[in-house]
Amino acid sequence: MNREQFLSQLRLNLGNMPDADKQDILFDYEEHFRIGLTDGKSEEQIAESLGNPRVIGNSYRIDAMLSLPKEGGDITAASVSRAVFASISLTFFNIIFVLGPFFGLLGVLFGMWATAVSLTLAGVGLAVSPIWPGAIQFIANPLLNGAFVLFSGIGIAALGVLASIGMSVLTKWFFIGVAVYVKFNARIIRGEK
Amino acid sequence: MNIQFKKGILELCVLVLLSQKDYYGYELVQTISKNIDIAEGTVYPILRRLTEEQYFTTYIRESNEGPARKYYRITDKGREYQKILLEEWNRFISGINALIGEEETI
Repeated sequence: MNREQFLSQLRLNLGNMPDADKQDILFDYEEHFRIGLTDGKSEEQIAESLGNPRVIGNSYRIDAMLSLPKEGGDITAASVSRAVFASISLTFFNIIFVLGPFFGLLGVLFGMWATAVSLTLAGVGLAVSPIWPGAIQFIANPLLNGAFVLFSGIGIAALGVLASIGMSVLTKWFFIGVAVYVKFNARIIRGEK
Repeated sequence: MNIQFKKGILELCVLVLLSQKDYYGYELVQTISKNIDIAEGTVYPILRRLTEEQYFTTYIRESNEGPARKYYRITDKGREYQKILLEEWNRFISGINALIGEEETI
């Protein structure tokens, strides 16, 4: 393998890391080749002693993945999702242990959010229905007068808002949980290689 | 040899060498591979990771023999980490030696 082949294979195996990082990494190997050549070695000798560019590329990717949700740093949904997808691209192992539960829980979370939001909207709708000019007065029972409907509407809307607040806490925990899980998972991968 | 184990040792070697003086990548790699059988390309990921952990800083310096080179310098944080790793290593080695010693006396 010559210099060009080594570098392009390494670039390929850096996957979808940001271009700036890739360039930074490749720079070190370009320098290594440059100095090695002035040291009297051939491109093939240098590539040979550097080792397998696939293995080298993988170790950069694993390091990048592990450092993504930084300790004490901001854990955002985007960074967690990025970490999730980075680990999926690594091995089939992750498809079973990360992708399934991640999307499953994401679905549950989405459903619960939908419930909280529709509860709020239903409450608001109910509260304004007695004074809404176009609303159909479908309730014939005299006990259910305007004030009763208004206050039950407010009550339901308040319940919906409470549920939404609860959901945002739960969502945050979920993403922190996923971050911890991805790290744990990555340690397993790293242990295997 | 177990790759994880080897990685840990390489990390220690890199830290110990850099605690003595500043090295540029190629020089550091050659110094290590003179003594230990390694795939030389595996040293750069370690350098990058430890730099990201703020154990090293880098700077570019012109050289007499050719183009500029990227040098690595250890930070205070790196020195602390190196001390901890070295202590762990020494404990590990003396543990192993104690085991081997017992074996030989049997």
